[in-house]
Amino acid sequence: MGPDQRFLGILDTSPFRIAIVYSIAFACGAAALLGAVDFAVSRVVDGSTDNLIEAEVQGLREQMLVLSRSDFIELVEQRSQDQDVRGAVYLMVDPQLRPVAGNVPAWPKDDASGSKWFMFKVSVPFGDETREHEMRAQRFPLPGNYRMLVGHDVQERQDVKSLMMRGLITAVLLTLLLGLGGGFWMGRRILAQAGAISAVATQIMRGDLSQRLPVRNADDEINTLAREINTMLDKIEQLTLGMRTVLDSAAHDLRTPLNRLQATAEGAMSTLALGSPERRVLERVTSEVDHMRSTLDALLRIALAETGTVAREPVDLSELVGSVVELYAPVSEERGIVLESSVAAGAHVQGNRQLLAQALANLIDNAIKFTPDGGRIRVALRGSASTPEVTVEDNGPGIPADKREIVLGRRVRLDEARNVPGSGLGLSLVAAVTKLHGARLVLDDAAPGLKVSMKF
Amino acid sequence: MHILIVEDDEVARDSLARALREAGHTVDVASNGLDGLQMASSMGVDLAIVDRMLPKLDGLALVQSLRATGRKMPVLILSALGDVDDRITGLRAGGDDYLTKPYHMAELLARIEALSRRGDSGATETNTKLKLADLELDRMTRRVTRNGKKIELTAREFQLLEFMMRHSGQVVTRTMLLEGVWDYHFDPQTNVIDVHISRLRQAIDKDFDKPLLHTVRGAGYSLREDE
Repeated sequence: MGPDQRFLGILDTSPFRIAIVYSIAFACGAAALLGAVDFAVSRVVDGSTDNLIEAEVQGLREQMLVLSRSDFIELVEQRSQDQDVRGAVYLMVDPQLRPVAGNVPAWPKDDASGSKWFMFKVSVPFGDETREHEMRAQRFPLPGNYRMLVGHDVQERQDVKSLMMRGLITAVLLTLLLGLGGGFWMGRRILAQAGAISAVATQIMRGDLSQRLPVRNADDEINTLAREINTMLDKIEQLTLGMRTVLDSAAHDLRTPLNRLQATAEGAMSTLALGSPERRVLERVTSEVDHMRSTLDALLRIALAETGTVAREPVDLSELVGSVVELYAPVSEERGIVLESSVAAGAHVQGNRQLLAQALANLIDNAIKFTPDGGRIRVALRGSASTPEVTVEDNGPGIPADKREIVLGRRVRLDEARNVPGSGLGLSLVAAVTKLHGARLVLDDAAPGLKVSMKF
Repeated sequence: MHILIVEDDEVARDSLARALREAGHTVDVASNGLDGLQMASSMGVDLAIVDRMLPKLDGLALVQSLRATGRKMPVLILSALGDVDDRITGLRAGGDDYLTKPYHMAELLARIEALSRRGDSGATETNTKLKLADLELDRMTRRVTRNGKKIELTAREFQLLEFMMRHSGQVVTRTMLLEGVWDYHFDPQTNVIDVHISRLRQAIDKDFDKPLLHTVRGAGYSLREDE
């Protein structure tokens, strides 16, 4: 696994995905929370500012009715000076918009809206420099076309708001970053553990039932699961070993009496003259023993392959296919059958050489049995080195499509095959061996004939 | 030859002993692993036939103990088990050959003969050359000649002939050929070996008066100079 694939692998893990979903959700939550706080604060602060301005305007309006213009101007000047510190602003202008009194240098450029409330900016000294401050104000007319505005510096409020915005963005980014980081870390942990588990699982599938999943000293889901799977594997191992024991004792209990029968018959035969009727009877007995033995061998090998308790080693499939074809070449030639083979070099599988050889031998043997004299058989090994495919194709009668499934079952001989010698276990063994190697067995029409493929 | 049979099945043991005595061997028998180990260690046994499953001491353990104490006599293991892997474990334990029950007596006798005469075949062997009568095989140059005349063989026919020449004068069964030349341990059902042998016979005997490759009825083949 290259670093890129590793990285992408982590992105695919469920903890990483969960972390992403959660950090996005948390980020949204944080944004909503801060938004709500901002909204509430604005309402309270804005509300109180507006109330202040409203009250001031009310006061000035009342004074305007009782005071002369010059007194009123004095009042505005006085208020301006008083309020300077607290951020309140006043401006009184004449009909030409020239400032008459107040602490704002000029009447703001009129916005056409003409509404009571409006915003404007004022340069305010700030140490050695000046800063543009945002003001919120209300205006009202004075007698003689004079005009007046009363407002308040809201720059501080704006500053708080932008500070909150920055805080909000930082919080969201931090949440996302922590979420991603945490997800990445958890993903790597999971991936490491899952990698170890899948490596062991592969070995178990290859038949090494003594392997167990790695368990850490923790009670998280994965370790709990691994422990439970290990308990299950213990049981499977026990069952499989039990089956193997049953198989061994069945083999022993059947082979021993067959051996006695054979030994007794042969012992008796050695005292009899060739061609005597008694000897001929005993020859029939030994030939039946042979037949039983070959059936027993086949059944035991099928059962053995099915328990999966067979030693496996790297097998050079290319060499094997070539050598089995070569073993059968003279026999097929005697029957006038052309046995063609095309074998791609370098195909290897993890498996049992003897069982693979026997499976292939059974396929070629079957093909030779069912192909008429002068026929043709093609054996091919194709595909990549790690996923090879072996096919045996003949131009005999083939197997009807509806019967292809059942011939793989145990001891099925189609009526058409009754007069051909054989135990009827050949294809069952091929099926069991194919399964043992994690391969797929496919029966196809070779039009005419049968095409059998073992796809590794 | 002094042969020890360690076998708990009485019928098999007796018929085996009788057949071996008839073939001219001195035979001792043991019916359990412990007795077998003791006899194999103390007497001058040339060859042992050991059943795999024995009371008191398992057949494989017996062979292992023999090998551990430096006894090098050939051992043929008889087994009534499944096969495939059992053969490998049997040979790994120190057995020289492995035969699954039920077996033909002819098969067993041929194997015993082969075991007892390992490196002592009728063919004379200089470093790389095997020679039987006027038939010569050079393993280095992969050249086969008979009476000085070159014989063309395929790679497999060459291997087959080499195996036969190593066992010349002995009976070689079909199973022994399949195991020794192809390294296959199953019954190919069809008479594949017979056809290979008949091709080899065509190649080495056809143009010559004296045939060297003989069929032994009910057993197999033998490569020998006929007296």
